[in-house]
Amino acid sequence: MSDKPFWNDDWVEIQRRYWESWSEMSRKAVGAEDSAVKTWEQALDHWWQAVSPAAPEMAHDFMGRMMEQGKQLFRLAESFQNADPGDAQSGDWSETLARLSAEVQRALSSKGEGQTPGMMGFWEMPLHSWQTLVSSFSNLPGGLPEGISSSGSGFDPERFLSAPGLGYTREMQAKQLELIRLVGEYQKAHEEYSDFFSNLGERSIERLRHRLEEYREAGEVIDSARSLYDNWVATCEEVYGEQVRTAEYARIQGRLINALIKVKRQFGIMVDDQLGTFNMPTRRELRTLQDRIQDNRREIRSLHAQVHALREQSGAEAASRKKAVRKRVPGAVKKKAAVRKKVAAGKTAATRKGEGR
Amino acid sequence: MLPIDVKPDKLVKEMSDFSRKLGRGVENLLDAGEIDTGVTPKEAVYREDKLTLYRYRAEKGAKQGKVPLLIVYALVNRPYMTDIQENRSTVRNLLAEGQDVYLIDWGYPDGADSSLTLDDYINGYIDRCVDVIRRRHDLDSINLLGICQGGAFSLCYTALHQEKVRNLITMVTPVDFKTPDNLLSAWVQEIDIDLLVDTLGNVPGELLNWTFLSLKPFSLTGQKYVNMVDLLENEQNLKNFLRMEKWIFDSPDQAGETFRQFIREFFHKNGLINGTVQIGPSVVDLKQITCPVLNIYAEQDHLVPPDATRALRGRTGSTDYSEVSFPGGHIGIYVSGKAQSQIPPAIAGWLGKRAEEEEGPRAKGLGPRKKKGQGPRA
Repeated sequence: MSDKPFWNDDWVEIQRRYWESWSEMSRKAVGAEDSAVKTWEQALDHWWQAVSPAAPEMAHDFMGRMMEQGKQLFRLAESFQNADPGDAQSGDWSETLARLSAEVQRALSSKGEGQTPGMMGFWEMPLHSWQTLVSSFSNLPGGLPEGISSSGSGFDPERFLSAPGLGYTREMQAKQLELIRLVGEYQKAHEEYSDFFSNLGERSIERLRHRLEEYREAGEVIDSARSLYDNWVATCEEVYGEQVRTAEYARIQGRLINALIKVKRQFGIMVDDQLGTFNMPTRRELRTLQDRIQDNRREIRSLHAQVHALREQSGAEAASRKKAVRKRVPGAVKKKAAVRKKVAAGKTAATRKGEGR
Repeated sequence: MLPIDVKPDKLVKEMSDFSRKLGRGVENLLDAGEIDTGVTPKEAVYREDKLTLYRYRAEKGAKQGKVPLLIVYALVNRPYMTDIQENRSTVRNLLAEGQDVYLIDWGYPDGADSSLTLDDYINGYIDRCVDVIRRRHDLDSINLLGICQGGAFSLCYTALHQEKVRNLITMVTPVDFKTPDNLLSAWVQEIDIDLLVDTLGNVPGELLNWTFLSLKPFSLTGQKYVNMVDLLENEQNLKNFLRMEKWIFDSPDQAGETFRQFIREFFHKNGLINGTVQIGPSVVDLKQITCPVLNIYAEQDHLVPPDATRALRGRTGSTDYSEVSFPGGHIGIYVSGKAQSQIPPAIAGWLGKRAEEEEGPRAKGLGPRKKKGQGPRA
């Protein structure tokens, strides 16, 4: 065994034996071949569970991402390995692709209920990125709470939310109701955003069919999981790239971001109210001060520049006045000098005379 | 027949390889330590608020041109991308080509900077940096290299202060913000920018990151990590990857008012093209740019499409306009091996030629340093 805490070559051999034993046990137990990828994933997870305590926290995120993508990669290959042989032989992969399509729907409708989907989990990536962003924006872990649903209860949230506040706390009630209404708006926008991607998942399957058709016509075969994965990424990126250029997507995405910011704004208003009751500086006050300070800084700079310009101007004017005087009466300086000399000479003579007394 | 034939034994081998690389790589990952960026020695020559103006040090004995070159980088990412590692440094190669390189590092704006406007950045910070350099070198004008959003700032600055800019170079710079292939522009049209800035103050870097990653989500948030597994075993490649990763997510918040103005004036109104960009008391008229202009763009740029950049042609008042196209992307233009051997020599060559034309025989020998038998740097 090597002294490396996280890895040694023996591990490959142990893992291989583990797969073989697992597969053998599975065959005996259920009378069918178990998923090699699933077994590999379990082995990978066991390994990471064993070594991760020794790894710093910062490495967990990176490793998690790499492992998750690795799982996607091999699940994808296995999806096609499990294709109906008759289906594959005939060249009509409708069954296989229909199965994958159903997988998309299942994946996207599970909405994070713990069922990590197969290859179609890929289409959760944009949604997952958005959730990560929302979490970083929100004070609430995991993002915003679920909106109010009216399904099947006869309860009309719009009507409820439009009811006026009453009594001494009516302002506060109104703000809380507004917040609930805005969270509901956000949920609707998010739903529309998710639906957009669910459609794209289906389109990407259709596009993959075309891509595979091209391979078949060229007499080429995809013979590695990695190559299949790269093709799938390129396909998804292509479909995504086309659709997110549409005006519809810009509208959906804009609605989502604006809805989120409106919720954030309402939170801010309510937090400011609370700060005000504690006689603490509010965000609004700070913003006013920041603006004023910046205005003052600009004014000071402008005044500095004006003073500098005036100094330069007055210096230049003084210099040019001197120059002008010299130029205008060139003899005057000599005359003055001559006068000064005369006076000096007279003084000297007088002094000498005085000395002689 | 289905053109996919991943044999079970091959699949098992691929999984085994993946595990091995991951297991061995995690050692390297944990040993990687601090990720260093910004490798060329430099000195801070001026500071103001969060901004630092750096001057890069050339190697001893290296010739440097008389007219310094100021790099104005974008606000949306950190400028060390131009000097990310020793063998991938636009700055280092510009120095090697005889340029005296300065760079503005904008720092990380915080809440106290949220009221900064485009006027403060362009007529304030950039202008004062230019003045500092002019005083240090006793020159009336210097050379300006604007990158991406910094290029748009440089265009505005030159139009408003032409007398202080001798030659202008723009790199992957958006000019026409409404070309049909500009995805960022299409998305931003539907954003209520007043709501965003009034609510958030400064615009968080995370929001910009999300936007950039959303341009190619599968490659940038998924496939990238599979590629990374392949790099893990090689310590050097891993460090290069981690440097890029650091840069991608090292996104400063954006001063709110500046962001509001930039989105409104440039993206919503396409103000550079329509002549409506208002900076402080002045409107930017690109025709006021009369110095020589070199416009460099990347052919596969997914952030600033080539058409957005090439729109500069014929829109300035300069009679000396040139373009250089680079066969790569928005990031590759600073960091790829190909860029190192093409971009800095192209800039230095172009500047050297203008120096010779302007100063005649006096300027001879100040152009790009000749390399004897030296191939392209990688």
